[in-house]
Amino acid sequence: MDSLHAIGFYVSAALAGVGGLGLAFARRHQRRALALALVGLGTAGAYLSLSAGFAAVIALLCYAACALLVARPDYRTVEQAVSAVWRQVGAIGAALLFVALAYAAFRGDFVHATFYGGPFGSLSLARLMFAHDALATEAVAGLVLVSLVGAAAAWRRERPRDDREGRS
Amino acid sequence: MSVSLVSVMFVSAGLVALGAFISAWKRQLTGAVSGLPVMFAGAGVAFAGVARFSAASGAPLIGQEMAVMLAIAALAAVGLAIGLAGRESPR
Repeated sequence: MDSLHAIGFYVSAALAGVGGLGLAFARRHQRRALALALVGLGTAGAYLSLSAGFAAVIALLCYAACALLVARPDYRTVEQAVSAVWRQVGAIGAALLFVALAYAAFRGDFVHATFYGGPFGSLSLARLMFAHDALATEAVAGLVLVSLVGAAAAWRRERPRDDREGRS
Repeated sequence: MSVSLVSVMFVSAGLVALGAFISAWKRQLTGAVSGLPVMFAGAGVAFAGVARFSAASGAPLIGQEMAVMLAIAALAAVGLAIGLAGRESPR
């Protein structure tokens, strides 16, 4: 991998990290959407640097759609009934997870292999997804279809008037 | 300057932990669910890195395939969560 790809990878990783931090600490949902789009841009850049151009395009599209969903002004905010102590315990758990994964990455003994694929690889990937792993691809497509249809049905459902006005 | 599988794994670990932090830290359910795409991005970067640097035998692009599937699954998860949360006001 040449220096240009390496710089692209590290810049993209930094972009995704900044987007993730923005997602964690932004209060308004428009800013959260922007941060999620930044995560998608960084992830797509990292994929592109790793010679996964087709995955980069799909990630860019999917994360842009996620950002558009989060940017909607009319979705209902649902507060979780979790105390501040448990949220802090969760944050410490995430930090411990990072330490464990980073330690495993540094101590790991990985196999090195030469990459013979192209920078985009859509043809090979399509052959893999629609011929070799067609059943898994169809299962994921079915899962996505069911979840989006369920989401659309739930979105169309009218909420009771008392719930809308904050009375229980 | 070069990239190796170790640095890819380090970036992946950071994204997965950041996504877990977002899911644990956010008070709103829809905000917490938006940590899922970050975790999936971390996993996808790890899969793409393995496909790029360490796929010695078998189908070398299977990591890229997993990255594509994870991006689509992230979109489905966010769509489902926001759809289930419902609208704030009637149409």
